[in-house]
Order: sequence, then structure tokens, then C-alpha cells
Amino acid sequence: MSDAAVPAKRKGFRISPGALPYVLSLPALLVCIGILVPFFTAVAYSLQRYRLSQPWARRWNWGENYWNFLSDSSFWNTLKVSLTYAILTVGLELVLGLCIALLLQKRTRFNNFVSIMLLMPLMTAPALASLMWKLMTNPGFGILSYFASLIGFEDFRWASDPSTAMLTVVLVDMWVYTPFIMILLLAGLRSLPKQPFEAAALDGVPRLFVFWRITLPMLTPYLLTATLFRVIESVQQFDIIYAMTQGGPGDKLTVFQVEAYLNFFQSTNVGRSAALLMILWVITYVLSMIFIKQWLKLRERQRGEI
Amino acid sequence: MDQTSTLEKVLRRVAISLVILFFMFPIFWIVLMSFQTNETILRVPPSVIFEPTLSNYVALVTGKLETQAGTLEINFMSNLWNSLFLSAGSVAVGLILGIPAAYAFGRIKFRGSEDIAFTLLSFRFAPPLLVLLPLTIYFQKIGLADTYFGLIWVYQLIVLPLILWIVRGYFEDIPADIEYAYRIAGHSWFSTFRTVALPLAMPGIAAAGLLAFIFAWNNFIFALVLASADKQPVTVGALAFVTASGIQYGQVAAGIVLSILPTLALALYAQRYLVEGLSLGAVKG
Amino acid sequence: MSIQLSNIRKSFANDLVLDGVSLDIPTGETLVLFGPSGAGKTVLLRLIAGVVDPDEGRIIVNGVDMDGVVPEDRGIGMAFQNFALFPHMDAHANIASPLTARRETRSGIETRVREVAKLLKIDHVLGHTPAELSNGQKQRTALGRALAAEPSILLLDDPLRNVDAKLRFEMRLELPRLLKAQNATVIFVTQDYKEAMALGDRIAVMGDHGIVQIGTPEEIYLCPSSTRIARLFGDPTINLLDVVPEIGVQGPVVQLSATDVAISGSYAGAVGKACSLGIRPEAIRFVAPGAPGAFPVEIEAETPLNEKTVTLAATRNHREILVSRPAGTPGPDHGKAHVAIDMGNALLFDRATGARIIAADAPTDEMAT
Repeated sequence: MSDAAVPAKRKGFRISPGALPYVLSLPALLVCIGILVPFFTAVAYSLQRYRLSQPWARRWNWGENYWNFLSDSSFWNTLKVSLTYAILTVGLELVLGLCIALLLQKRTRFNNFVSIMLLMPLMTAPALASLMWKLMTNPGFGILSYFASLIGFEDFRWASDPSTAMLTVVLVDMWVYTPFIMILLLAGLRSLPKQPFEAAALDGVPRLFVFWRITLPMLTPYLLTATLFRVIESVQQFDIIYAMTQGGPGDKLTVFQVEAYLNFFQSTNVGRSAALLMILWVITYVLSMIFIKQWLKLRERQRGEI
Repeated sequence: MDQTSTLEKVLRRVAISLVILFFMFPIFWIVLMSFQTNETILRVPPSVIFEPTLSNYVALVTGKLETQAGTLEINFMSNLWNSLFLSAGSVAVGLILGIPAAYAFGRIKFRGSEDIAFTLLSFRFAPPLLVLLPLTIYFQKIGLADTYFGLIWVYQLIVLPLILWIVRGYFEDIPADIEYAYRIAGHSWFSTFRTVALPLAMPGIAAAGLLAFIFAWNNFIFALVLASADKQPVTVGALAFVTASGIQYGQVAAGIVLSILPTLALALYAQRYLVEGLSLGAVKG
Repeated sequence: MSIQLSNIRKSFANDLVLDGVSLDIPTGETLVLFGPSGAGKTVLLRLIAGVVDPDEGRIIVNGVDMDGVVPEDRGIGMAFQNFALFPHMDAHANIASPLTARRETRSGIETRVREVAKLLKIDHVLGHTPAELSNGQKQRTALGRALAAEPSILLLDDPLRNVDAKLRFEMRLELPRLLKAQNATVIFVTQDYKEAMALGDRIAVMGDHGIVQIGTPEEIYLCPSSTRIARLFGDPTINLLDVVPEIGVQGPVVQLSATDVAISGSYAGAVGKACSLGIRPEAIRFVAPGAPGAFPVEIEAETPLNEKTVTLAATRNHREILVSRPAGTPGPDHGKAHVAIDMGNALLFDRATGARIIAADAPTDEMAT
């Protein structure tokens, strides 16, 4: 009733409701653009003959960097090493992570404690994890080298030996990232509805059958999300490999990002480095589009349940 | 599921023990090493029996490393300080940029919002070097090379998507009616954001901040490419330290322990948000 | 303050909610928006409150076009169906929120919050957060928040929906007094016809993306514009019998239990048309055989309610009708009986469209009994 409440258009400066969201997201957008600029620069570099050591010889060579890859054995090696690394790590982590998640499925105090403990490797910086393993695999005093000698592998050289270098970095990757898969799958397992399992138990369905026919299918969205997430990261792994061997011995571990890094800073071949990264980007882009779809589904589902 | 046999119980125990052994042993061993002198470290066979010493930590904290060749200056403490400054700075900037954007994406649906949100998300998955290598050249030109500011900006690449997507979920979970009610009560948009939306999303903001801090701290590649020695965080610093200190393994171990301690402590503190953070808000723990 | 809506249209994504809604609410009126869920009642309130913008049409409050006026400047009080209390503030802060916005003095706010809380009988729980309040207390807090600033427009979105029956009954008695004391223009949304009848100066029945009938409670109850509206009001629900009016001896008649029952002569135009005859249960009486308009029925069941007794009876061709009589009045409870219809209150609807057939002249009571 008070006259003060008579609605009136307020004067003075205000942001119109339509423009508000743009104003709010503008700073984030600017950062976005700031990151898109170097991205397009990288695209341009990949189409140039560009060596930091010979800036005078810089010129457009269009697809030549890419074309050269076809006959470049070291490129094929990079592709092979990257894919091997990604498949090995993600495959092993998936199996191990699923096993651990199944072991810890019951919500007991002990299981919760263990699952929190297992987060510690995941929270360790991968580069530092590599250093830890480097100390443990030191041929002079490394505890793992000692253990290897105990079971008959005298002079087991871990990352310094071309034949076991991959094994070593895969082991470090597993140490760091298995908990990631484990914790996602554990959350998935614990969120599954109980009725199908109770019904199966009542009917005396064999547990292996329950696992294949009920648990796994219901867990699929979580498995897919975890797998895609890990494949995308693993195919561009840098920290663990660089900190462990810088890509060596020889070209045994020159995965995409390591090879690109070495090309850029050691051989100063910017063009080749950029082209390598573009190919990696295409791979991860395709994977991440699949991932985002899967991830959105899972996200919607979680929101719907709340 | 109660018909578990004794054999199965035993097998489960063995399996869990092996799992704990595999994941805990490296941390345990490095901690042990950090309290040993080089002599005890180099013993063959290795043994867990030794006289613990704090000398490694003392050397790191005082910045003086005694070697046979003489005293070596180490700036590991400045690496720690850099890590702290870079991570905290990135999270602060990330929150300032990310929270309003998360609110815009989560609450006020607007044209193009999903596209922008997904573009930001896809940064999370692009190879970091793709952006970093051209940036090294740009940073030289515009004078951002080897500055904290430049590094913090690049760190947004990992911090911002994380904050944006986690906090956005929390804003979406606030019923719109609650905000409407506050506005109808006569409060401006901004006042509603500050007194209703922000406090209600606070748990999500805290979780996102903690996780972003951990990820920033653990980052290696950004600083490796863009930072020189005096701006390096521990991840890069520790690697350089290994090369510089030669065979001072005790100090290296102590350095690693000091470097991973903060993130482990934070992770334990924030563990109930970890699942949500690691899946960028897709899975709740 | 008066509210005018003209030609409001609103859709969400591809979902049309309101289409061409016009409404004129004079100052001080309590208008009830009544209709099934999904009819757009809540959306209409939100449009008036300004938290949702119309696609087309104008909202005019006291002569001022509300286009571009943000919610906080509209001077409206609103209570939400789900209460929408601020979960991180106690009841006191919730109720005070419209007052703090107006930058009133601390003591002024304190006095007013106490006053409102006392009025709503929640002064003893002001320090509790919403999580600690019972449903009824939440509902009163939400109402208190809407009333606190003495807004001249009050929008109440089904505030009694989520409270238990006892409390709803109490509030239904209390609310008219409260609202009148406010002297505000009130729009009250409900899905409960009794609430609508008890509270509304007028009722706007919503459906089909708009308002299908608007009028005083009596008008809506006695002259519903369609069978759909007729069914929404009244308990037990209206009897709808399929009939085809014929020409009888003295004018149009309908056949019930093989008996010609006369209907108003002004329905002559409906002769030969498929119709539904709508008779409220209380417009049917038990009569002695041979009384004017009497026709035989078979009693099937009887349900005594508190203030009335409802009998289910069947006509000779097995059409069931409900008869309601005040409790305590005599009536048969089994076997055969005769009933007569108070034809002055009978309604005739077009069976195909459901629309009420308006008598050629105003309904008279000449054909009654």
C-alpha cells in the first residue's frame, strides 16, 4: 500500500538482463581467446618450414611437414610408441582398477580407508612419481633393482634398458593412474541399484554370471568415461616419460609430446614439432568429442538422480 | 553374497594386501630414504634398520648442500615457494574468472553458452604443448616470458575448466525459485548472486578450489617450457635438483617428500570431493 | 494496485504454455487462478513477478507497463509452492529479506518481523533455519516473507499445497482475514476448488493455454461454461447424463427412467441434439411416487458423510446418479425410490463440445418441481 512501492523504472546505469551472461563470462572468454591465438599460431607453424636456428629460411611449405611424415620412420616410431603406451597403460589400469574397485565395493570402514589411501599416488605429481621410481630403480641402490636380483634378474636395468624401458614407465603410469580408474568405478559400483543383485542372489545365480551379465553392463557408462578420459591423457603423456628418461633410451619412448618437445628445443625444428602436435591434437580431439558425449550422459544421469 | 568361503576371504585379504603394498610402498620407501644418510642408502642389501637423521631436510631448508666437492647452493625452498605462489595465484585468478562464468553458464542459459563451455572443456583435453610452444615465442615478444603473471595465465588452461564445470553444477543445483524469491523481495541481481547463490554454492567452490590447487601444484609441463630456474615450481625444480646434486639421494628423497606432502594433505582433506573433481563433475562420490 | 494483462503469450522451448491471455484485476481484489497442473498458473504468476518475460503481450500494473522493469522494482510479494526459503538464513532473516532490501532501520525491521511472525504464529521459531522448521512453519515463514513489506500486490502460488490437511483447513479459514487486512491485490493459485471458492472474489479457471472461464465463485459453480469446469467444482461431482431433448406435451422433455422429465422451455433449441444434462447432486431430491417430475430409481449404495448423505442410485436403464441430502434428513437407503430434479439448477451441455447450452432466456423456476 505504501506509495514507495509503486513500480517505476529505476534510472541510472545497469546491465541489461540480456547482456548479463556475456558480461559475466567475458573474462573467461578472454582467457579462452588468449589460448585460441597460440593454437592457430601452432596450426600456421605446422605449415611452415621453420627452424629457430635458421630464422632466415622460414617460409610456408604447406603440407610438406605432414607429407614428410609418411616416409619418416621416426614419426611412425612416435605413433607406435604413443599408441603402445596408451593401450598398455589404460588396458592394465582398467583391469587392475576394476579388480580393486570390486574388492573394495562394500562400504566398510576399512575399505573406505584403503580407497582413500590409494588416492595418494594419484595426488602425487606424475613427474615426482617418476623421480620416486627412478630412485627405487637405481642400479646402485634401488630397492626394486635389489628385489629383481633376488628373484634372479641380476643387473636388471629398468628404464635404462631399451627392452624394459617401456615396462618401467608403464609401471609408473599404473602406479599413478590406476587409483583414478578405481575410484570412478568404485563410485559407479556403489551407485548401482541393489535389487538386481539381491534378486540374483536369491535365485542362486552364479556370481561370475552376475558379474558378466549384470555388473559389467550396468557399469558400462562409468567404464567408458574412465577409459576415454585415460586414453586421452595417456596418448599425450609427457611428465612421467620425460622425467624418467627424456624419451630414451634411444627413441624407445619418444611419444608425441616428448618428440615434439625435443624437436622444438633440441633440434629447434618448430615446423615439424607443430605438425606432430597437430596430429596428436586430431587424435585427442576425436577422442574428446566421444568422451564429452559420454561424460554429458553420465552427468545428466547424476543430476537427474539428485 | 554371504556364502563367502574361508578360502575366498583369505584370497581377498591377500589381494588387498598386495594392492596396498604396490601403491603404498614407493611412498613409504622414499620417506625412509629421506631420513637416511647416503651411506645407509647405498648399503647392499638395503635395510629398513638405520639411524634416522634430519640432515637432508636441514640441508634443504638452509639451502646449503655439503658435498665432497664443497658446499653447494640449492634453492629448493624457492621452488616450494614458487609452487605455492603459482598454485594459489592460479586458483585465485581461476576462481575470479570462473565463478561468474560458471554462474552464467549454470543459471542464465544464454545463446552460445554451451558452445563456450565446451570449448573451455576441450582445452582440458588438447595437448598442452600445442599451446605452450607458440606461447614461448609470443611470451618473448610481449615480455611475459618467465613472469609469474604469464605462468598463472597459462595455468588457467587446467584450472579454469575444472572450476567452471564443478561450480556450474553446484549453481545448477540451487532451485531457481530461491533466487527468484530473493529478487522479488527487492534485491538486485548482484545482491542475489552474492547473498544467495554464492553461499549456497560454497561447498562446490571450495572443492573446486582445492582440486584446482592440487592440479596446478602437480603440473610439470607448463613450467618446464615457460619458467626459468628462479620461477620453477617443485615439479621442475626437483628434476633439475637430481641433475645438480649428483648422488645426494637422501636430499632428493627429502625434496620429493616435501613436494608431495602439501598435495597429499590437501587430498586427504578434500577426499570426498575428489571423485567429483576428477570426473569434472560427472560422477559424485 | 490494479493489474492488467493483455494478450500474453509464453512458450518454453517448443512448449506453448500461455496463448493470448488477458486479465483485468481491480485494486484490492483477490483473484484465484484455478486449474490442473501444467495449465500455466505458475508461469502467469512469474510473468507478473518479472522473473520470466512474456514472448508477447503487455503486463500493466497501476497503469505502468512492466516491460523492462526488473523483479526487484515491481514491489510484489510472492509465496512459492515449494516455499523457496533461503536455506542458509534463519526464519527471521527470511522474513526480513524484503525489508532489508528497502534499507529500513534495524529497529523498524525487527518490529515488523515480530509483528508478522506473531500474526502467523511463528514468533517462537524465528531463530530456526528452514531445515529445522516443520512443513507448516516453513509455509508460514514463506507467507510471512511475502507479507513482510506490505506489498500492494501479493502472488500466492498454491501456498497450501505442501502442508497437511489439518493445517490447510486452518489456513483456509485464516487466510481471507489475513489477505483482507493486507488490503492488497491478491492472485492466489490453487488446484483445490474449495480453496478457490473460499478465498476468491473471482475465480479464473485455466486450461488450454489460457483462461477458460472467469467469474465469481457462485457463477463458476452454478453456471460453469463447460462440462470440464462443471466437473472440477463440487463434491460429489456433478451428475452428467447423456440425453436427447424431445418435444413433450408442454415443451421440451428428456427421458429419465422411461419417464418424460420436463426441462425449461427456453431449451427448445436443443431439441434433437445430443446433450449432457448436468445436475448437481444436491439438486436431486427423493420424492413420493407420482410427485411432479418424479421418476423411479434403484438405490445402490449410501455413504453418510459428515454434513451430508450421498446416495448412489441407478435409473431404469442403468445410468448412475449421485443424490446428496443434508445429513439427518430422512431418505430411503435401499430398494426402489423416486427422485425429482430441481430443474432450475439443471444445466444442459452440448455433448460433442462440452460447452454449456445457454437457455434462450434467463433461467426461470417455472418448471421446477
